Amino acid sequence: MRTKKFVFEMLVLLVIVSMALASCAPAATEAPAVTEAPAVTEPPATEPPAATEPPATEAPADPMAALYEAAKAEGMLSTIALPHDWCNYGGVIDAFKAKYPGIEVNELNPDAGSGDEIEAIKANMDNKGPQAPDVVDVGFSFGEPNKDLFMPYKVSTWDSIPDGMKSADGYWYGDYYGVMAFLVNTDVQPDVPQDWPDLLDPKYKGQVAQSGDPRTSNQAIQAVQAAALAFGGSLADAAPGLQFFADLNAAGNLIPLIANNGLVAKGEIPVRLTWDYNGLAAIDSFAGNPQAVVVIPKTGQFAGVYVQAISAYAPHPNAAKLWMEFLYSDEGQLLWMEGYCHPARETDMRARGVVPEELSAKLPDVSQAVFPSAEQLVSAKELITTQWDSVVGADIKAAE
Amino acid sequence: MTQITPSASKMPTPRSNLKNWIGVIPFFLFALLFIFLPSLRLFVGGFTNADGQFTFENVIELFTQKYILDSYLLSIRISAVTALGGGIFGFLLAYSVTVGGLPKPLRSALVTFSGVASNFAGVPLAFAFVATLGRTGFVTAVLKDVFGYNIYDAGFNLYSFLGLSLTYMYFQFPLMVLIMAPALDGLKREWREAAENLGANSMQYWLRIALPVLLPSILGAMILLFGNAFGAYATAYALTGGRLPIITIQIGAQVRGDVLHNPNLGNAMAMGMVFIMAITLAGYSWLQGKSERWLR
Amino acid sequence: MNMTARLRKIPFWSSVWFILGLLYFVMPLLATFEFSLGMERDVIGFKAYESAFADPEFLETFGYSVFLATMTIMVSIILIVPTAYWIRLRLPEARRIVEFITLLPFVIPAIILVFGLIRVYSSPLEVPFLDRLLDTKIVLVQPLTNFKFGTNVLIIGGYMVLGLPYMYRSVDTGMRTVDVRTLTEAAQSLGASWSTIIVRVILPNIRTALLSGALLTFAIVVGEVVLASFLGVPAFGPYLFLLGQHRAYEPAALTFTTFLLTWAAMGIIQLITGGQEQVSGAH
Repeated sequence: MRTKKFVFEMLVLLVIVSMALASCAPAATEAPAVTEAPAVTEPPATEPPAATEPPATEAPADPMAALYEAAKAEGMLSTIALPHDWCNYGGVIDAFKAKYPGIEVNELNPDAGSGDEIEAIKANMDNKGPQAPDVVDVGFSFGEPNKDLFMPYKVSTWDSIPDGMKSADGYWYGDYYGVMAFLVNTDVQPDVPQDWPDLLDPKYKGQVAQSGDPRTSNQAIQAVQAAALAFGGSLADAAPGLQFFADLNAAGNLIPLIANNGLVAKGEIPVRLTWDYNGLAAIDSFAGNPQAVVVIPKTGQFAGVYVQAISAYAPHPNAAKLWMEFLYSDEGQLLWMEGYCHPARETDMRARGVVPEELSAKLPDVSQAVFPSAEQLVSAKELITTQWDSVVGADIKAAE
Repeated sequence: MTQITPSASKMPTPRSNLKNWIGVIPFFLFALLFIFLPSLRLFVGGFTNADGQFTFENVIELFTQKYILDSYLLSIRISAVTALGGGIFGFLLAYSVTVGGLPKPLRSALVTFSGVASNFAGVPLAFAFVATLGRTGFVTAVLKDVFGYNIYDAGFNLYSFLGLSLTYMYFQFPLMVLIMAPALDGLKREWREAAENLGANSMQYWLRIALPVLLPSILGAMILLFGNAFGAYATAYALTGGRLPIITIQIGAQVRGDVLHNPNLGNAMAMGMVFIMAITLAGYSWLQGKSERWLR
Repeated sequence: MNMTARLRKIPFWSSVWFILGLLYFVMPLLATFEFSLGMERDVIGFKAYESAFADPEFLETFGYSVFLATMTIMVSIILIVPTAYWIRLRLPEARRIVEFITLLPFVIPAIILVFGLIRVYSSPLEVPFLDRLLDTKIVLVQPLTNFKFGTNVLIIGGYMVLGLPYMYRSVDTGMRTVDVRTLTEAAQSLGASWSTIIVRVILPNIRTALLSGALLTFAIVVGEVVLASFLGVPAFGPYLFLLGQHRAYEPAALTFTTFLLTWAAMGIIQLITGGQEQVSGAH
């Protein structure tokens, strides 16, 4: 009796172990992105638009129509990590659905971070189901290192995207940017800080918080990098930023809570470090309760750029391309502006006078914005994530 | 009702032992597919490096990196504290509505509430506590305005080990209540009556009879509470933003990583967690065996 | 009875503990509620509630989560009740293993279980080693997540795992307090078949215990965030989480409401079934 049970269990164990080992192996040997590259050569008539068509509004009708038909045949677009209140993605998605009926927009994991999005592409390489994202919107530093996972594609308005914001061969392209700012609940803290050093003042004791964990969140890491500009650092040297946060923490001004709008509204976190567009959208949602302002620090408008890319394993490549065309059309770019983000083609659009006056007025002045390069972002990320614990001192509370 | 079941009333011994195992195949299949396979994935992952080859380096890191060891210790500390505190007060609560004699409707209310509260965790729980005991919290304000006592000046801080423990109690107390209420029901009234007949007072009854009988259940329940706290992630993350580096947050950082991203190290860390939990579960099993004697 | 005599009947220490517990549990809820009332400036009102409930996504996601919860509960019952019954009757040796398995979801951190589930079922399941021998891959099962149905299966499976400790414990407690053996013998002597026994004799008797397990599972499913968001299903957990990122007052309103509703549901069911758990063996 005992031995039978034992044998049974061993058999089960053997089956389990072999299945597990096998299920691991394929993932490693899976054909990498290279084989997907053929997509580059195929763009179905979206490459030479302006040449043949009379330039009507933003995009010529015919090639777009062909793309639309192809996308409609696919029937679905899977997006990931697009919260509706972020840069007015809610408005963007609704407009896309209205303009191109017949394509279902399947929104995956709206609370994912850039890393999660890359993971999602990797995890779904063999998977053509609705779990696999077609398009991603990730932090700038995630573009180049992951280009093997992307399918290159140049939208019809490619040329009006600034060079510094896109990959030359079309793997990824900047979509919008904002600058690091302070969102201040003026009901609780009427004394609004104007710059980074102001935050060290004792009157902000226990009032300042990041929007994410600096060891994993893009937004939080770039806040540290932005602070460096005010303390003798530069885009290439983020160490002073780290030191600033250490000082902020030692002074008791920095709270470890991850700030969100609820906590700002409650007054628990009167000063939230976040992108200006998030702050401005928050003020809209507060609708006067509480009163709040967004302040861009005097010493340095640090721009954070996000980039779009199409997954090399996208189950619906044509829908993905149509989406990109939409986003980079004047219409799409303006919708982002309504979310307080500065779209990539802003300079071009302003030059052509397509930006409405009221919309233009709503956006903060970021003419002095500095744009870190990808290498600077990556090296800062290295520094900040590895040293945050030791420099800023997460150990303080653990000792309690 | 205590029943003395003579062995004659047992079902006739089944023909073949193996045939009986067929009845539990669906369950084992389910466990295989949805518990063992994923866990094995993690097990194997813990021994894999970034290139997919077998390696011990992740496991070695567990023992050599100070921050990892510190994280385990911190997790164990907070789990132990909340298991103990949660166990004691949860027991008292369960006692009050069972043997303690409070009216039946209160018991219903407490048990149903516990069912909901034991799953109340993560961001909503963290926010609720911030709204209560944060700097601008409800209770903080009342204490300051009505009693003139500022707890933050006195050194209290919600965003600390103490604050997190207090928050954890919100699902620890209910879990204890849910487990102990039926166990307390198992205390037969006859025992109390018999003890009183023999001249014992309340204290003696509890110390000599009730507690010894209940002790295995209590300890077993505390172990479950330990496990519950040990595996908690969302609440700690929401309340302390990763500042209190408990092991689950470290795992999250590795596995989800925007940045740190070494999922295999995360798997190894998880294996460590499983190992620690396995030990505590063994203790639980042993205690369960002892308590069965009295409560069957 | 006069006042003092009645007062004397109320146990002192029990009341103390209960009141302390009451204070501890009620205050955070009250604080959440108070905050949710503050959406309009200087006005105490239910604007946050209006706004939250007016959102069509709320109903969609909540409805979907309720659907998932119901399916999870049903499949759990179908799996667990016969198993527990079988173990009690025929296979007591398996008891230890099965109990151990039901405690595994406590042991293995949820975040790992979830990621493990996703990884394993997002890629094709293959026969081990055969591909090296035959130079081709024989795919046993396509990734579950390729199909909507497959994703639902996966998520329900995941939720069943999360709820397993509670469901099994409830069923087991229920069967313990009801003498399953005698009932079975009686039914068999009356000529009932196995399925009749389980459906018409056992199930009704463990109804209350089942309900408590079911409600706990319900609470787990509705509040679950990680699995749902990674599988991209439109469930309530991710919706609430995302709302909390951007909105201030509505999440508090929703949290408070769902807490109360779930509690009320549990309470009503307790009332209806008349608190049967006190039956047999316990005083």
